[in-house]
Amino acid sequence: MDTKTGAVASKRNGATPLARPGRIRWAPGTTLAMLVVVVLLPVVLPSATLATEILIFAMAALACNLLLGYTGLLSFGQAIFFGAGAYCSALGMLHWQLGLFSALLLALGVGAVLALLVGLLCIRRKGIYFVMLTLALTQMAYFLAYTLSDWTGGDNGLLGVPRPPIALGDTTLVSLASPLAFYGLVAVLFAVIYIMARRITSSPFGSTLLAIRENEARAAALGYDIRLFKIMVFVLSGAITALAGALYAMLLNFAPLSNIELLMSEQILIMTIIGGTGSLFGSLLGAGSIVLLGDILSAIWPRWMLLLGVALIAVVIFMRGGLWGGLTSLLQRARRASSHDKEA
Amino acid sequence: MSVRTHTATFAITLLAGSLLATPLMAQDKPAIDFYGVKSVSGAFASYGKYAEMGSQLAVEEMQETLDREINYTTLDTEGNAGRAIRKVQEAINQEDARLFNGATLSSTALAIGKEVDKAGGVFMTPAGADELTGSECNAATFRWSVPTYGAIRETLVPLIEKLPDAKRWYTITPEYVFGEALLQNAEKVFEEYGLEHVGNSYHSLQEQEFSGYLTNAMSTSPDVLVLLNFGAQSSNALRQARNFGLNEQMDIVMVWSAGLDQLQELGADNVEGIYFGAQYWHEVDTPMNRHLVEKVKEAYDITPNYPLAADYIMTRTMLEAVDASGASEGPELIAALEGRTYQGPTGEETIRAADHQVIKDYYLLQGKGQAEMDDADDFADIISSGHSFVEEDKSVCQL
Repeated sequence: MDTKTGAVASKRNGATPLARPGRIRWAPGTTLAMLVVVVLLPVVLPSATLATEILIFAMAALACNLLLGYTGLLSFGQAIFFGAGAYCSALGMLHWQLGLFSALLLALGVGAVLALLVGLLCIRRKGIYFVMLTLALTQMAYFLAYTLSDWTGGDNGLLGVPRPPIALGDTTLVSLASPLAFYGLVAVLFAVIYIMARRITSSPFGSTLLAIRENEARAAALGYDIRLFKIMVFVLSGAITALAGALYAMLLNFAPLSNIELLMSEQILIMTIIGGTGSLFGSLLGAGSIVLLGDILSAIWPRWMLLLGVALIAVVIFMRGGLWGGLTSLLQRARRASSHDKEA
Repeated sequence: MSVRTHTATFAITLLAGSLLATPLMAQDKPAIDFYGVKSVSGAFASYGKYAEMGSQLAVEEMQETLDREINYTTLDTEGNAGRAIRKVQEAINQEDARLFNGATLSSTALAIGKEVDKAGGVFMTPAGADELTGSECNAATFRWSVPTYGAIRETLVPLIEKLPDAKRWYTITPEYVFGEALLQNAEKVFEEYGLEHVGNSYHSLQEQEFSGYLTNAMSTSPDVLVLLNFGAQSSNALRQARNFGLNEQMDIVMVWSAGLDQLQELGADNVEGIYFGAQYWHEVDTPMNRHLVEKVKEAYDITPNYPLAADYIMTRTMLEAVDASGASEGPELIAALEGRTYQGPTGEETIRAADHQVIKDYYLLQGKGQAEMDDADDFADIISSGHSFVEEDKSVCQL
């Protein structure tokens, strides 16, 4: 588990247990594991481009996890931020000649502002109504992008998105043209965001989010401004998702319309759930497994999506905490078995 | 040119090709690495399956003809533009790939064209976007399918001549770039021939229910209903039009049909009397098409359709150009393709150097009833064929 403390009720569902308020926790275990995975990915996988795609989607799944896993908000709006991040950074680079970090900052800013607006509207409702609002807004964003074809390229997508180098003024420090160099940038950004998200979820702010997820009425009764916390986590999630969208556009040199459609939100949600809600490392597992499964299975059988469906059902039924939950329970069993052996 | 002359020319070309190739066979030519970008799985798998068959058949044939090893690799787009681009990038960076063909979706084809151009390779596609050989053209990208301009002119103009009393025309258009391009070209034809465009209904790309649009069309009493949508939407629009009995009140033309597989899906009852525009039809009487039909029957026991024919001839043409130029990338191969004339399924086809557009025929078909069909795939007769392309000096492509 990512977090150590625990309400028994939450453990039953494989979700992150509620933290003791005020206690700042720092479990370096999964952070180290994340760093090891990030370093090994381009070595183990057939290409650095594939590894980059995994990290970008892991970033988007991590942002979704902050909403779903830590606050209990099931949002179909993630594609809005992912697509907006891709379009805005691309347009900034194409029309205003923005550099790498300016474009990424623009994506972060646009993602945060959009998430603020979406959050302000959606959190007025709970449960299924909240879900429906995020779904409707994603559809609206898709049609807006589709209609503004002079800006977004419409159905053809936005072509010729550059991948600027890391530069100081006019001096190029590192060219990102090679897949490995770009992977390096994405890996550093992913690691920074992961560590930042770990700090946030382990902080009193994170504990309050968990309290809201577990029992919103009780958290409100304790004096927490539920609305403010929800909006803050929405903004955080939107900004990170938009950053992932911007990096994806740079990876492909292209921003397809599919970035902003409902299917993208579904994909990010599936990665989050498969990896394990309430586990940041689970987001990396979820993104990695979905991208890799698609890659491997599509080479074996054209109807591979059926197999993916079977895999999803299996994970949902037999690993209620997602892959991370399954992995931790396996480790626990192994530990128990070895302690029994020692006692014997 | 008569059929017999065509056959003779084709046979002589093949013979001459084999004779010329004989001394070269002795030499050890390097293997050709060729990549087919196909939507083998995902939303467009039904298209990708036939496209893949076409490329594989061409590779098998060319391996024998050129006496040269061809390493063919399929890159599955999974019906997802992002995945397709990533796989193309991987092939370029990891395997030094430079020769690509395929891509169903326009967005995928446009982005692949850019990537391959950056890498100095060559990419040939049958995708529909006019931008491929228009505003987004580049040195690496070649396009086999006829653009919207030619599709409209080769469908509507012969129909106007066939139906001299049809003065009132109504259009149904999907509201996006491709539909808009078809509509603009259709409006120019109506104006040129002094016909009345009595109305147009726009619909979204998600639309499946067309009764409202068809009612609007009926209220204007047109002589011809022009369907400018495609794929499942045009099939649904046509089925619903027949249910409303519109085919008895007016003529109906589907400008951008998918060809045989769409007519098979619609069935003879729905296609009877309807006009269809098509990039390819298996009954076209050309030497290469007869050869293709025969080989496809032998290999797969089916009749070739548009995706199969398109990817077959593109693969074949690219491999022939590689062999002729001795280059598998860069300016030499591009030069070998530019201006190249070859026997294609639609007859003599030429790759225009100015914008890399293949100059080929487009067909107007008329659907037959069940009783008139000679075989299970004989859904339509060819009413007319020909080619119309924007002149080179008016093209927005700057190569």
